[in-house]
Amino acid sequence: MAGISEKRSGAYTFLAYVTLIVISIFCILPFIWMALASIDSNAQLFLKWPDSVTFDHYTKVFAEENGVRWFANSLFTVLSATFIVMVVAGLGGYALSRSKAWWKQPFLYAILLIRVLPSTALLVPLYKILLTANNGIGTLLRPLVGEHYRSVMQLFGFIDGYLGLIIVLATGQLPLALWIMKVFFDGVPKDYEEAAILDGATLVQRIRRVLIPLALPGLAAAGLFAFMSAWGDFLLPLILLSSPELQTLPIGLFRAFLRVNEIDYGLLAALATIYLIPAVIAFSFARRFLVQTFSGGVKG
Amino acid sequence: MAFDAFQKRKERQLLWLLLPALVPLLILTIYPAVYAVYLSMTNEALTGVAAAKPRFVGVANYLRLFSDGRFWNSLFVTFVFVVGSAIIGQFVLGFISAIALRRKIVGAPVFGAAILLPNAAPEVVAGFMWISMLAGGDHATLSKILVFFGLPYVDWLQTFPLFMVVMVNTWRGIGTAMILLTAGLAAVPAEVYEAARMDGANPRQMFMRITLPLMAPTIFLYMLISTVSTISVFGLVYALTRGGPGNKTEVISVYIYNQSFTAFQIGYGAAGAVVALVVSLALGIAYVRSLKVEV
Repeated sequence: MAGISEKRSGAYTFLAYVTLIVISIFCILPFIWMALASIDSNAQLFLKWPDSVTFDHYTKVFAEENGVRWFANSLFTVLSATFIVMVVAGLGGYALSRSKAWWKQPFLYAILLIRVLPSTALLVPLYKILLTANNGIGTLLRPLVGEHYRSVMQLFGFIDGYLGLIIVLATGQLPLALWIMKVFFDGVPKDYEEAAILDGATLVQRIRRVLIPLALPGLAAAGLFAFMSAWGDFLLPLILLSSPELQTLPIGLFRAFLRVNEIDYGLLAALATIYLIPAVIAFSFARRFLVQTFSGGVKG
Repeated sequence: MAFDAFQKRKERQLLWLLLPALVPLLILTIYPAVYAVYLSMTNEALTGVAAAKPRFVGVANYLRLFSDGRFWNSLFVTFVFVVGSAIIGQFVLGFISAIALRRKIVGAPVFGAAILLPNAAPEVVAGFMWISMLAGGDHATLSKILVFFGLPYVDWLQTFPLFMVVMVNTWRGIGTAMILLTAGLAAVPAEVYEAARMDGANPRQMFMRITLPLMAPTIFLYMLISTVSTISVFGLVYALTRGGPGNKTEVISVYIYNQSFTAFQIGYGAAGAVVALVVSLALGIAYVRSLKVEV
């Protein structure tokens, strides 16, 4: 009896290995092509061993293309958005956890539902709202800055400007971050704050001295998810940015790929690899928080 | 009395803390959703006469939408895309991986990392990598592999475009499904299996009679979430096919995008957007209700 079931178990284990190997190859094959093509002196659209290994594609991304600019733009907008999300969601998540007011439950339901709204469906009205805001800030700034108008608007404009992209990116990440922080603060005992209140600490002191140190792990999780999602976002920079100086990595990659007549696969693969690496690093840290976000946030 | 006043002050302070989150959410997500409904009843356009003086046209956009074959096509494509990749592809492969990884597997973390890697890839990178796998006719990697096994060359994105888009989105989501279902599997108490084994149940019986029924709530929740998030996929499809060839892979989000930003018909595009919003909201409400949110 035992012999048969052991044999069976062995067969199942073998089956498990075969399945895992096949699925894993399916999952990593595209990455292998990209990594190899990025160092292949004669890179092609299909998987092959490099003719000779070169790092020219990487230097070319930075030297000949606007790789540095794209990377800096992506990093600046995404990190700014992530920072805003951490601050705003930290405060808001605390309020959501501690409040007993009537608005608490509707608000929590609302942020869950906001997460399911498809961003393409909100894009047109969003664009019109931003356009109005952009014209408003434009009329305000034009007399003040004079000839620097264009470059100032690239910083503070809502359309084709950093500020608009940062704010919209941050808002998109807020619902999940608020949820993560609310759940996190639910697990933080109130004793610490009550002790601080008894010691006569003000709200600001309580936040700075007690809550921020306690909230760091939660903020790290919220920040990681905000970073990953904003870093991968393609639609918003596609719609909101048009100046070449403002292009971010996803758009640079997409546009470079559309130049059909002179596609340089090695260069594209190097560019895509550069864009991929921060995402993979963030994901490897965020992985252990993945299950918790499932209970409240929508994946994506 | 004093305590009440203290509570009131505390609640007011908390509301102030929530305000920086509330304001952008109201202006940049709730208001656009409402505004979309209004826009869908106008003939608003990005350029031309209608851009300067949009008119209220009532339900005209919706009537046009429901008689537009391309719109119905996009609903059909979205349906196939969601069922094929989220409900079947990601779920089946993710579940199989989760079950396989419950055995004592040498190198389990390596398999886990490999299966999760596509999750980390930004949409544009995923699209770009899969163009290498599928495009280029004779030279596509997939063709080269299949030719090795004696199968004929196929131009994948031209011949089976929708199936390929489904496959790529499946590829991207196996990892999440695996992680979430692993958590669900771990929550099934070991004693239940032990008792079943005592009663002489075989692995297939245990899977059908214990694992599946006990996992049903987790699976249901997972399917709702992945359905909703798959409806809103845009970048992956756009980078891979831009909805083509023809409109064979034009999912609803690409349809809305093309109508609004390529054809510049904002009012008409908004009508499509409202349909997508209503469907997503309905699924979202089902999700929130089944989640039994504790607040």
